Amino acid sequence: MAQAEKEFSVVGKRTPRIDAYERVTGQAQYTGDLQLPGMLYARVLRSPHPHAKIISIDTSKAEKLPGVKAVIHHGNAQIPWSSGGHTHRRFIFNNPVRFVGDPVAAVAAADRHIAEEALGLIEIKYEKLPHVLDPNEALKPDAPKIAPEGNLSVGKGNFSAPIEESWGDLDNGFKAADRIFEDTYITKHVNNAQLEPRVSVAKWEAGKLTVFASTQGVSNARTDIAKDFGLPLSKVRVVSKYMGGGFGNKNQAQDYDYMTAMLAKVTGQPVKLEFTREDDYIGMHGRWSSEQHYKIGVKQDGTITAVQLAAVTNIGAYRKQSGNLSGTDFYNIPNFKKVIKPVHTNTVVGANYRAPAYPQSVFGFASFVDQIAFELGINPLEMFEKNRIQKYKSKTPFTSNYLDECIAEGAKRIGWNEKWHKPGAMSGAKKHGIGMALGGYPFRPGLGAATIRVNPDGTAHLLVGVTDIGTGAKSTMAIIAAEALGIPLSQIQVTNGDTDVTPYSVGESGSRTTPFTGPAVIAAAEDVRKQIFAIAAGRLKVKPEELDLRDGQVFVKSDPSQKTPLGRVVAQSGDLIGRATTNTSFKDVEGKSFAAHFAEVEVDTWTGHVTITRYVAAHDSGTIINRLPAESQIKGGVVQGIGMAFSEELLTDTLTAIPINPNYRDAKVPTHLETPEVEVIFIEHPDPYGPFGGKVVGEPPITPAVATIANAIFNATGKRFKELPITPDKIVRAIQV
Amino acid sequence: MEDEKKGKGLSRRSFLKGLGGGAIGTAVISTGLVKPDQAEAYSPEAAALTRGRSAVSLKINGKTYRVEVEHRDTLAEVLRDQLGLTGTKIGCDRGECGACTVMINGRNMYSCSQLAVWMAGKEILTIEGLAKGDKLDPLQEAFIEHDGPQCGFCTSGQIMSGKALLTKNTKPTEAQARRALSGNLCRCGNYNREVAAVLAAATKAG
Repeated sequence: MAQAEKEFSVVGKRTPRIDAYERVTGQAQYTGDLQLPGMLYARVLRSPHPHAKIISIDTSKAEKLPGVKAVIHHGNAQIPWSSGGHTHRRFIFNNPVRFVGDPVAAVAAADRHIAEEALGLIEIKYEKLPHVLDPNEALKPDAPKIAPEGNLSVGKGNFSAPIEESWGDLDNGFKAADRIFEDTYITKHVNNAQLEPRVSVAKWEAGKLTVFASTQGVSNARTDIAKDFGLPLSKVRVVSKYMGGGFGNKNQAQDYDYMTAMLAKVTGQPVKLEFTREDDYIGMHGRWSSEQHYKIGVKQDGTITAVQLAAVTNIGAYRKQSGNLSGTDFYNIPNFKKVIKPVHTNTVVGANYRAPAYPQSVFGFASFVDQIAFELGINPLEMFEKNRIQKYKSKTPFTSNYLDECIAEGAKRIGWNEKWHKPGAMSGAKKHGIGMALGGYPFRPGLGAATIRVNPDGTAHLLVGVTDIGTGAKSTMAIIAAEALGIPLSQIQVTNGDTDVTPYSVGESGSRTTPFTGPAVIAAAEDVRKQIFAIAAGRLKVKPEELDLRDGQVFVKSDPSQKTPLGRVVAQSGDLIGRATTNTSFKDVEGKSFAAHFAEVEVDTWTGHVTITRYVAAHDSGTIINRLPAESQIKGGVVQGIGMAFSEELLTDTLTAIPINPNYRDAKVPTHLETPEVEVIFIEHPDPYGPFGGKVVGEPPITPAVATIANAIFNATGKRFKELPITPDKIVRAIQV
Repeated sequence: MEDEKKGKGLSRRSFLKGLGGGAIGTAVISTGLVKPDQAEAYSPEAAALTRGRSAVSLKINGKTYRVEVEHRDTLAEVLRDQLGLTGTKIGCDRGECGACTVMINGRNMYSCSQLAVWMAGKEILTIEGLAKGDKLDPLQEAFIEHDGPQCGFCTSGQIMSGKALLTKNTKPTEAQARRALSGNLCRCGNYNREVAAVLAAATKAG
């Protein structure tokens, strides 16, 4: 695309977010900030048992508590929750309950204290059923059955099946190998832990339901709600203006949105349902845990000839997403086979968390590749460089691929050649280590839509369905619009995230906003520019194609002194509206953003404490539309990786099946004190298929972070940690052996 | 296997109420509404009567508000629900995340862990009181320039902890800034930016 090569006036700068003022003054209205007249407050009661049949629910005491307006449960509110079209049907209240935290009732009351008190007055008789917590146990034939189809989760069809993928010839690949290595890596359930607890506000007016949802996708939330409540789309409105993070666990509409809508319906009043932090940790989902068994064939020089991955992932009691593992994506593997078994257990659901299938499996695979480099006596930098992916599945070219430059620039910045030493070779109690790993995320095109209204004063109003979960998507869309229109950014207003007002958006997840909606914004700008030039051509007495628009002036390209202000052109028409729905696709190419991360650590071998002393993240995301928030996203992804590497794990008591650390303090999310300065390098080459040459930014940074840190700890200690999180006690124990 | 199970009995709020509300319980008993020997047998109607309410004067952002609050209402709840000062967020409601940080008598404190009835006579500053008219506080400006907010949910708290630091230490080191903000979690992981903004504001002010 020619646009990738031109000089940009707005794209590629360091631009503060267009809504930063609202965010630093407390004026930004998040869902939980809404107060509607007559609004009730709601809370959710959850199962204390991992697997039990509900025999009876007695709500009479709760209903007698002054201020209580409604109690709903499976007996009077059995709404299916289809959770984005997955085949395994689930209800908002289930009987039997299948994990500690499965919702059993919700109460609406005059205030939240009363709602909370009422939960304690609901009397439930349960018949306990046998339960299973371990996914390997759950696969055994005599294990308690959690889903009707069995504990191996249903795949795309309606039957239980593992995820399988293969190419090349595995047997020949292993035959061609000089050495074959096998090992197992284990990762744990980690919660998304976004700062904003789940909250939903719903009201009904004349048969129309409005849900103010804290959702990453208003369009798909509306689709789900309409389908499950049996309403036409025109009778459902979903609004999400500001939302306090999600990282994948606020996609679509969730069960609490449905409960809120149902409580609002039965009470005839608006309802706000709030999760407590504990609700948030156990009631929704976190990243699926995994046990990954690898068999890797290599040549003596380190070249990978074959990889076989057999894994079990724990997706908890209900299926929401795939349970896949994709950490092998960044390597050139000529012969490959994976069989992943996503398994149901009576535990908290395992589903999407930023780059869902990646950080856990990049940890496993990149740790093992690093280990094999050690066994073969090869410097890890050479090993990763030699085996980096060049073509998708060894055959399809990428739209662009600068992983080699990410590796080279990152290694140079951290000083790999000067600082790398043999693993465990440093003397003294505090040991230096350096490590690296590769990562990235698919860049895919798809359906997007945008509307741009140009006003008679020369300003423009962009309407997009995207929500802004903290990525700066709203600003990104405004920047793309300003660039494509030729209007200064300050003259662009954005209305987003309201299904009654804004056009379709895929939802802000899977790093899809820029590649899906970005092209639609450009096309809508082109549509309105055509209308502008058609009108201005008459005034300036030239042909429309001879005109351009820049800085709010329509001018003749060959003689810019012949010009007219945009506002004057538009004024004749009231306003001008450009719109576009785009659905681009790739043919014979694959898209991916790439990353190489590098870390230096200091391991205190007496305490097991690890300090990250330096962190360098080199990324190929094509053109960076807005450097300031893009850098912030890279930094943030790394910080989430630090938590997963060092401390985070949802612990479940094996006897009672009760999660024992469902809160920030005990789940140990990283704080200011554990966070190093993350140095961000953008390897910027415009991608020929991306809007203004941009690929994706949001998911990639978390993907290599965990493995990078683990490999640095190996370099420091000479000990390989094959199970997350790498806590001080594990380090001390390993070193003392 | 059958067993009877209620929902979780003791919430943090009822625990707080228990701590702060000793006097309330006594008062109710002395009026004879609930006899001591019946206190064990819980009835919803009796529970409703034990909810104490008081009028309290709150001095917030230089203005005095006279509000009636339940004794179990936290400052964070009263700010948000009664006074519409929703810039103060509740992220955990248990003193862990710092989203609800405000300044009380010049110190940064978690407003989810302070009962509103304790606030009489104290000077409370929230995010809404930081700007002087249309003029943003230098720290707010620095947060805009340095991309302090990603999702923005922790931002008010980060800024209030930063403000408390800069009030007593106009030239903090990076380590001091990190330490001062360490009670404010940011799951977007924007810690580099928040510290940079505090240091930039200090330089600007100096």
